Amino acid sequence: MKTRKRIRAAFAVTAALGLAVLFYSCKKTVTLKLNNAAAEIVIQGEVTDAPGPYTVTINQTVGFYKDNTYPPISGAVVKISDGQGETDSLTETATPGTYATHILQGRSGNTYTLSVFAQNKQYTAVSTMPALVPLDSVTFETTSGFGQHQTNAVVNFQDPPGIKNYYQFMEYINGQLFNKEFFIFEDRLSDGRYISNTLYMDSTYLQSGQDLEVKMYCIDENVYNYFFQLNQSGGGGGFNTASPANPVSNISNGALGYFSAHTTQSISVGVPNQ
Amino acid sequence: MLRLACRLGYVNSQTKLHLMQRTRSFLSFVLFSFPFFLAAQTRHTVSGTVRDKKSGETLIGASIVLLGQSRLNVLSNAYGFYSVNATPGDYKMVVSFTGYQPDTVAVSLVRDVVVPVELTAEGAQLQEVVISANRNSNNVTKPLMGVQKLSINEIKDIPVLFGEKDILKTIQLLPGVQSGGDGNSGFYVRGGSIDQNLILLDEATVYNPSHLLGFFSTFNSDALKDVTLYKGAIPAEYGGRLASVLDVKMNDGNSRDYHASGGIGLISSRLNVEGPVGGDDKGSFIVSARRTYADVFLKLSKDTNTNRSSLYFYDINAKANYKLGDNDRIYLSGYFGKDNLGLGNTFGIDYGNSTATFRWNHIFNSRLFSNTSLIYSKYNYDIKINSGNNDIGITSYIRDYHFKEDLQYYANASNKINFGIDVINHTTSPGVISATESSSYNPITVSDKHALETAAYFSHDVSVSEKLNMNYGLRAGLFTVMGPGKFYTYDSSGNAIDTASYGSGSIVKNYFNLEPRFSVSYKVTDVSSFKVAYTRTTQNLHLLSNSTSSNPTDVWIPSSNNVKPEIADQVSLGYYRNFEANKYEFSSEVYYRDMQNQIDYKNGAQLIANENVESQLIFGKGRSYGLELFFKKKVGKFNGWVSYTLSRTERQFTGVNNDSWYPANQDRTHNLSVVAIYKVNKKWTLSADFVYYSGNAVTWPSGKYEVNGQVVFLYTERNAYRMPSYNRLDVGATLQGKKTKKFDSNWNFSIYNLYGRENPYSISFQQDPGDASKTQAIQYALFRWVPSVTYNFKF
Repeated sequence: MKTRKRIRAAFAVTAALGLAVLFYSCKKTVTLKLNNAAAEIVIQGEVTDAPGPYTVTINQTVGFYKDNTYPPISGAVVKISDGQGETDSLTETATPGTYATHILQGRSGNTYTLSVFAQNKQYTAVSTMPALVPLDSVTFETTSGFGQHQTNAVVNFQDPPGIKNYYQFMEYINGQLFNKEFFIFEDRLSDGRYISNTLYMDSTYLQSGQDLEVKMYCIDENVYNYFFQLNQSGGGGGFNTASPANPVSNISNGALGYFSAHTTQSISVGVPNQ
Repeated sequence: MLRLACRLGYVNSQTKLHLMQRTRSFLSFVLFSFPFFLAAQTRHTVSGTVRDKKSGETLIGASIVLLGQSRLNVLSNAYGFYSVNATPGDYKMVVSFTGYQPDTVAVSLVRDVVVPVELTAEGAQLQEVVISANRNSNNVTKPLMGVQKLSINEIKDIPVLFGEKDILKTIQLLPGVQSGGDGNSGFYVRGGSIDQNLILLDEATVYNPSHLLGFFSTFNSDALKDVTLYKGAIPAEYGGRLASVLDVKMNDGNSRDYHASGGIGLISSRLNVEGPVGGDDKGSFIVSARRTYADVFLKLSKDTNTNRSSLYFYDINAKANYKLGDNDRIYLSGYFGKDNLGLGNTFGIDYGNSTATFRWNHIFNSRLFSNTSLIYSKYNYDIKINSGNNDIGITSYIRDYHFKEDLQYYANASNKINFGIDVINHTTSPGVISATESSSYNPITVSDKHALETAAYFSHDVSVSEKLNMNYGLRAGLFTVMGPGKFYTYDSSGNAIDTASYGSGSIVKNYFNLEPRFSVSYKVTDVSSFKVAYTRTTQNLHLLSNSTSSNPTDVWIPSSNNVKPEIADQVSLGYYRNFEANKYEFSSEVYYRDMQNQIDYKNGAQLIANENVESQLIFGKGRSYGLELFFKKKVGKFNGWVSYTLSRTERQFTGVNNDSWYPANQDRTHNLSVVAIYKVNKKWTLSADFVYYSGNAVTWPSGKYEVNGQVVFLYTERNAYRMPSYNRLDVGATLQGKKTKKFDSNWNFSIYNLYGRENPYSISFQQDPGDASKTQAIQYALFRWVPSVTYNFKF
């Protein structure tokens, strides 16, 4: 009997102390000695099924601790051909490093070839615009936990069966890009399903009353893989991937960036009260 | 070779008998034969079981010496059994075991005799630890290299995270063993990766040794008797992993009295019940269970999603044994553990290991001991995701049926032979996705994989002379990839170019590997020796893991037509020296390990529910070398150890870092651990451990650019950077309560990370939330300081 009493007392003491144990995880900014790699060329280009002009931007990488401004590369020779005999020569716009088409009109099923000659090097990329899959609606999902309420947008659409489909989503608030991660989705595990895909974000959340525009792109496999790898390359240890690396680009000759021919459509909707 | 052996052995004047014995044992070594002919001269055997006097627990690795006869002391085996033979006569047999008072028994060998031995624990005497003259010098004499043995008694005072004594955390304080990070029970041995450690619990493979994402290990110390880590010379009876073997043996239970013991801690509690089955040491049972209750605090939250969340694990160890006759004993042991993590009703994962081992010990005669085991082992996980109208479940498992037969032949005091066979049937289910009608996902079953792993081995412990002892052996392993299933062949970019279908039970591919094992020790003086060892190991089950921490959803895959067995060759060299009548032990070892067919992933590999997961892999080489220093004070009021490792681990993969050698993720240059335990008086024991290690190799950005309006990072080289170094001091104190015959208790207090150093757990990179024109590096640290209190009792 005495034994049981002693154990019960011990239990009470330890349980009380248990509340005091709030082991905490801490987070702080650190300054690391990071190398400044030699500047590399970054090319980003798009052709969509919306009316042109379409743009290609060319600039350079900078060191990690430099400002987030990337020196443009001017004077490049940029061409896009549509595989149907049409080649558009792009001209540099008022914004240095940004090149625009004149006559090109993107169409699903066409294969587009981007050709860039810059700094004495030739870069080429190929992308095929997939068929459009209609976006039905944008709804919202609110989850709560650990004192936080998070609202995320949900995209709803019917995936066509029997073919591989790859999707990309963009969120805009007041015309400003809102998402801080790359939203992509493939039907590898969902072929032919009606898809309700939540666009989860870790860092910023939607607020009620905001006007949200969601764009949906149907992209090709290489472009999907490019963004999938970008999403995985956070790095840094812990539960992140052990070996982050630059994503494999569909542009030749070692250029960073991507060239994507994709469909585009959008739905605008107000963020409801939670 | 004969000349060499004779020269090494022939140091002092030898009697004719010794010379004959040596020649004979050497002959037996050359002939590989089981030296039955050694029995030609009349010899008698003394055999029996060594037990703890109080509990009847068998003692593993107790040393048995026939004074004036044995050149090499015999060690009791995993079941406490020993056997020594000698020419007829009267002998004094000395039996000793660390932490126990040695016993001397008079043995009259006029025929074979059975002598059960019972030793009394030193602690049980309630007096200061006596330094006995008979402390053994096995560490110097035996040709065992790179072997670390821990008794649960030894680790009980070492302070650990959350106050939960933990063998996986403690072995990380030993040389050549690296921790996977703060509070991580994953460990790296001599440059091997986490999945290259064979972790056995009563012979059953434990596929995931961690609870709660690694903060706890699956091993409940209450249930354990003996822990041995092999990292250098791995005996031939073990196979299947490249880097190390951690052999954990469970307690048998008290065969004399019923007892209950337990502990109440801040976030977990334990209970242990044991007692006899039948009288006269006929049998015993033990059941140990524990559960964490960190989630109780979640229940206090007002938030419905939080208070419906779960975060706990429990596990149960149970074992029973029963003596069927003088020569037969059966054992049944099992483990079942489950982790449950859930976030409200939106996400949940539970996972765990279950193992069961049935064993039959049979003593054919006083020299031939046999154990037959039937073993079951399974690891599985089960994920449930419930978001919007998406209801999906993902399950995966690996399951083994294992038959094992081990025989030990005690030819004479200088020769012992182990041989046996091993058959394992592996089934892995890489992933099954279940989904409701309305779900966005299709139900998918990635086909099961089947394999049969068979092996035969023998090894011979031989004492060539007083000074020269060796162990050599061979393990022959056959790994058979079995149908049913589709087997793909891939081109270099990972597209399936050919498919072959195999029916159930048909053989897809055979991999045959011979694994020689060899180690030798040469005693320079009574207290010092040199040792050399060579070990080849192979591995046919590979863990696909893409993060630096242990992740319960990592999947094991067997070797296949695409994935070849991993092969490692290790050479190690050591110098061992004891001081002051074996009070202090010092050892230094250098090793070099070469690894073939190592596995990594392509960038952006799809590992989840992928039928073609093998197309996502790349294969390369690894190498690892290092120096390990270990200094230990085993006894006295003040004891502990200092362990230091200097090492390098590198890999080479086509296409990574221009095909050149680069540091592996687990490459860590310096690794220092200091453990100190001081017994102040009968009531108080103080302890501390200090850990310092240099940072792991990591891949960090060397620049940045913008994609789709978001900052992304430029990587130039894999693992070219180093995490900051790590250091930590933990302290603990144990207060022994009043001890009565009926009740014994103690309080254990500890503080993990006493000076609150923010050791980096991970470093990530992001756009500065306060200044969109900048990027920043963010360091996460897990534990500043973690105090804990545990109350332990026994009655």
